[in-house]
Amino acid sequence: MALSVEARFAQPDYPAMNSAPHADRDDESLVKAAQHGDRAAFGQLYQRYARMVHGILLTRVPGMAAEDLVHDVFVKVLPRMKSLRDTSRFGPWLASIARNRAMDFHRRAKPNSPFDDQIGNIDAAQHSGSSMAMEDAMALLNALRDLPETYREPLVLRFVEGMTGPEIAARTGLTPGSVRVNLHRGMQLLREKWQGHKPRVGNE
Amino acid sequence: MKNDYLWDGSGEPDPELEHFEKSLAQFRYSGSAPNFVAAEAAQGKPSVFAALIFGWSPRFAAATLLILALVAAGLLLRVTPTVTPNGPGWHVARLSGTPQVGHFSLAGDTSKTQLRVGQLLVTDDESRASLNVAEVGEVYVDPGSRVRLMESGSDHERLALELGTIHAAIWAPPGQFVVDTPSASAIDLGCAYTLQVKEDGSGMLHTTLGWVGFHKDGHDSFIPAGAMCMTRRVPGPGTPYFEDASRKLRDAIHAFDFDSPSPEAREQALITILAEARSRDAFTLWHLLFRVNDDERGQVYDRLSSLVKAPAGVTREGTLALNPQMLDAWWNAFDLGDISVWRFWEQKQAAPLLKKNTR
Repeated sequence: MALSVEARFAQPDYPAMNSAPHADRDDESLVKAAQHGDRAAFGQLYQRYARMVHGILLTRVPGMAAEDLVHDVFVKVLPRMKSLRDTSRFGPWLASIARNRAMDFHRRAKPNSPFDDQIGNIDAAQHSGSSMAMEDAMALLNALRDLPETYREPLVLRFVEGMTGPEIAARTGLTPGSVRVNLHRGMQLLREKWQGHKPRVGNE
Repeated sequence: MKNDYLWDGSGEPDPELEHFEKSLAQFRYSGSAPNFVAAEAAQGKPSVFAALIFGWSPRFAAATLLILALVAAGLLLRVTPTVTPNGPGWHVARLSGTPQVGHFSLAGDTSKTQLRVGQLLVTDDESRASLNVAEVGEVYVDPGSRVRLMESGSDHERLALELGTIHAAIWAPPGQFVVDTPSASAIDLGCAYTLQVKEDGSGMLHTTLGWVGFHKDGHDSFIPAGAMCMTRRVPGPGTPYFEDASRKLRDAIHAFDFDSPSPEAREQALITILAEARSRDAFTLWHLLFRVNDDERGQVYDRLSSLVKAPAGVTREGTLALNPQMLDAWWNAFDLGDISVWRFWEQKQAAPLLKKNTR
């Protein structure tokens, strides 16, 4: 009988057995190993790519849902590893699956519950009792989510997930040039949007 | 000298950038990798079959395994299909009925094979199949269809839909997945869509996510999510429109593109399109700029600019002269997809031709 997602990812108090043996290996060799059933290699890929997946999801779904869907994306990917022909394309493939999973989330969402409201409510609930700094951060995240899609994703990966531009390009398969341009154009738009706000953090 | 903090952390951030970085870092993913080894162990409970085998004495179990292996080998010799997939191709899975790949029928519930370059997948009235390549996407083939794999490589995939209906969900980078039909080629620009081809070679494309380019001999149509576009062998792709456009507008587009018995009827169709167009239909009018004659283009421009504000730097004269940069700016103003993606694809197509011509 197939285990539920929760059961598959039940995390007993194991040492971090996914990471240690593969920490030095490059992504492509990890992908090849994972295709041959090496679950520890897949665990290492999870560690390397979870932030990218989370960032992509966070631009499209509420915060709490994004955290849950990270696991979900990797569950979808695991049985399909063997069908990946070009092992160097693991990152872009994973990114596409994350984007599609976010679309599925909205397709399955109840009608009459607009996305914006969900973001506000759920993210606020997630950080209930938040300080003014958190309120500012929420407003900033929402401003970022209002940007065109092209700019949203690299900026979330840069600011939320702390990835550098070259890292974003390497993980997502986009050219460094386009990531750099989108980061700068997106940053300009974000600054313009943020002008309307009065950040309270600096005044605390 | 490197000094681009936003790009690679070099140099110093300005205070606002620093604030953004610090604030947003609160939402960073902090989950750890699940234990896939343990999860697999939990899943790998011994089956009933294994319990029976290993519950017996080792000698008896070994004999049983030997017999089973011989039977399996005999069966394999009898039923091994004539097509042995190898090389690049798309995975084909049977969904219902008995789809054919070359001379090989997929009949069992778990039937799978590969569609290799040059091979044809045929579904009869009872059959459905799916095509899949992990890093490219999935294509569902409806009953009564014929699909051929034309090319398959690391950065390009090309199918030909000779007849029938496919539903494609593509996640390869824009421009890498193309489906040829007798009357136009559909170029994926990051999307999901349905493509239909009739016996006479005419077709219809309906986009459900993202956008698709429909192309034939320099005749291009862009179809965003929620829109559709008809195509015929002559002249190729018609004018796309949103499926929720008024009946009058849709009929008029059809008449304008394909079925006008006289120039007057075509002119009347254009008048109806302009009158019926909503702001949302501005992208339809944008396509008309390329399809009308010089005298009519002014009317189209006037209606278009009354529905959507002309982007900065765009002029009436430039648009009427079909200035490429201004037309691209118009398209980008609709926020239906970045047209530079399409221009990049066009350049890529032109590159081999240019090389050939300069030899």
